Amino acid sequence: MTSIGTGYDLSASTYSPDGRIFQVEYANKTVENSGTVIGLRVKDGIILAVEKLVHSKLLVPESNRRILTVDRHIGMATSGLLADGRHLANRARDEAYNYREMYRESPPLKEVVQRLGLYVQAYTLYSSVRPFGVSTIFGAVDKTGPALFIVEPSGISYGYHGAAIGKGRQIAKTELEKLKLAELSMREAVFEAARIIHLVHDDSKEKEFQLELSWIGEETKGLHLPVPKDLCEEADRKAREALETFE
Amino acid sequence: MYRNTYDSDNTVFSPQGRLHQVEYALEAVKQGSAAVGLRSKTHAILLALKRSTGELASYQQKMYRIDDHVGIAIAGLTSDARVLSNFMRQQAMSSRMVFNRPIPVNRLVSSIADKAQVNTQEYGRRPYGVGFLVIGQDKTGPHLYEFAPSGNSYEYYAMSIGARSQSAKTYLEKHFESFADCTLEDLIRHGLHALRESLQQDKELTINNTSIGIAGPASVHEKDVPAGGSFRILEGEPVEVFLKSMVPKETAEAQAAEAPAAEAPPDGAAPAQAGDQDVSMAE
Amino acid sequence: MDHFPTSWGRPRTEAYDAYNTFPLHQRPNPGHKDAFAEGVQRTQQPIVTGTSVLGILYKDGIMLVADTLASYGSLARFKSIQRLHPVGSSTVIGASGDMSDFQYLQTLLEELIIEEFAEADKHELGPAEIHEYLSRIMYGRRSKMNPLWNSLLVAGKKDGKRFLAYVDLLGTTYSASTIATGYGAYIALPLLRTAVEGKEDTLTEEEARKILEDAMRVLFYRDARSLDKYQIAIVNDEGVTISEPKKIETEWGFAEGIRGYGAQIQ
Repeated sequence: MTSIGTGYDLSASTYSPDGRIFQVEYANKTVENSGTVIGLRVKDGIILAVEKLVHSKLLVPESNRRILTVDRHIGMATSGLLADGRHLANRARDEAYNYREMYRESPPLKEVVQRLGLYVQAYTLYSSVRPFGVSTIFGAVDKTGPALFIVEPSGISYGYHGAAIGKGRQIAKTELEKLKLAELSMREAVFEAARIIHLVHDDSKEKEFQLELSWIGEETKGLHLPVPKDLCEEADRKAREALETFE
Repeated sequence: MYRNTYDSDNTVFSPQGRLHQVEYALEAVKQGSAAVGLRSKTHAILLALKRSTGELASYQQKMYRIDDHVGIAIAGLTSDARVLSNFMRQQAMSSRMVFNRPIPVNRLVSSIADKAQVNTQEYGRRPYGVGFLVIGQDKTGPHLYEFAPSGNSYEYYAMSIGARSQSAKTYLEKHFESFADCTLEDLIRHGLHALRESLQQDKELTINNTSIGIAGPASVHEKDVPAGGSFRILEGEPVEVFLKSMVPKETAEAQAAEAPAAEAPPDGAAPAQAGDQDVSMAE
Repeated sequence: MDHFPTSWGRPRTEAYDAYNTFPLHQRPNPGHKDAFAEGVQRTQQPIVTGTSVLGILYKDGIMLVADTLASYGSLARFKSIQRLHPVGSSTVIGASGDMSDFQYLQTLLEELIIEEFAEADKHELGPAEIHEYLSRIMYGRRSKMNPLWNSLLVAGKKDGKRFLAYVDLLGTTYSASTIATGYGAYIALPLLRTAVEGKEDTLTEEEARKILEDAMRVLFYRDARSLDKYQIAIVNDEGVTISEPKKIETEWGFAEGIRGYGAQIQ
């Protein structure tokens, strides 16, 4: 295991001799070991999809939502330590509210993501705190159109057409690159997202999972809402069929 | 392997991306005596095993009333439990005062989950050493939640926490599909059976070491319950009638042996795997 | 986050300092100094004001009416103001009094509604909750001798139950089947009471509209700070609807024969 820092990895305020901050890299490890989350930015909206690993059959299926709403038109999904994800969601809501109070208009996603990136980065500067163990996908439809970003534990954020984080991100990225995202409609994207999540889920390694989907755009009049149940079930069914014909 | 270097500070990730201090806090929950929670379409109940330090001592309180419609059972450090339950009571009161509505149970649980998460991220703080099972009734029906010191909270149909709770969980997993339509008396009976699974050898449930918390309309054995069915704790004499309703262990085992074991979950199932990070720190 | 070692272990004041922004030497309690403490003035008088708002219960829900005028003292300055505001999907509030304070309340309520939307559970803030929230705010401000100078009607329908209540700058609240603010309380309320009391569960929407329109006509004749353009808000099982501004038909011909009014011919 070459990533063992031997003494340079005990706090976020220490550089290693080759210029790395190991605590931030370990935080990324947390994300890499977690369930996959993907986002698609398409012609008329955004789709977010989560591979929700079910750790007990006693769990109530409709509760324990992984995709959270920030303001009316922004959705976010995290992969990694879920409690840290909720902390970031609360901060994002505060940032969105402050923007709204100051400028009396709906916050563009870029603004919220920049502020959140700064916040996450601040936790990588000191030994008295630890970095956030989550990567977050943000999606929104604002006055610039559909927008999709990832914020990583280091505080870096990039905009994407198709985004994937978590365990199955390599497979998911390959699949996303095959799609012509700018030409898909929201409905088509829902089916594609479901298919990709089913593809990345490794049945042999993990237990059951649930697919959670949400969308923002034309179909929802700009609000961030869960994908309606019937469409969800149809997407789930089609994805399973696609997998069978695949194999 | 290298656990020891990375587990003394709250703010250190291990090379595998785990937070060991938080996982140790979850161990503290496992030191507490067992508590079981389950729900039906009309009720949500809690059952807890109380410990005492000796014959001369009283039994430890395991349940707290948060509001008319919410109650909790604790497992772990009692002092941390008092602090968090006080916070929960403040949140519940605040909702009634500002909005004139009983606080939705999911929001109450999220508020302590977010509070607990802060303690896992800063140096000089330690994670809370207590886990809760929270039951409540609100507009959307009866609910049961588990709260863990990692800051994760989940809603369940049935759950157990504390020492030897895996055996109770096994019982619950076997029977939970029938809970939805149970009467209150049947639900309590299932809960007591599950709690019994977590006992040590030669111990049994008595009116002194068992407490039952109920959120929902009154059972046939209760008197003086207000119409709305607010959260109440039954201890001592009132518990006797429910204990008597349990199926004796020998008969229960014989029945279980006859019925083909549908699934046999391994004991101490699901140890902390690296692949489970996003759903729980460790079982 | 708190990276100053000497602050570790101190009590956390989440209520107003969730992110530990106050510097080290001022913790744990900075005394919460207001920078403008010296030159701050309390609200003495409302400046741009709206006049009466009327509200009644009818068979299918509730109905509120208000004219579209914001006066600047005796000047009829802003003649197309909407004084009825939807909050969430089941409540509407109507305000009389200072319009800038009303706009401030609108932003507070919008924040509340967005927070509730972001929770995305099946709980929604209904009219009773909004009313309780507003009355806490109004009373709190009055207790600091800095009131939000409004009289508000909060109305709505949730889970089949109609709700109509009043809250004002003093924090006084009350609920009835007919309520009015401002001059409406003196002039229109007796008319509303005769027309509505006892018939709350049988009045149709058309009848309710007529009652309110007649009351608004009387108010336009008598209230010197009113306008003949008004809007009606309805909340029923389908949700909240606020109508387009309507004009009231009024008859001023009687004035011609009176000396001192109208065109002087003699």
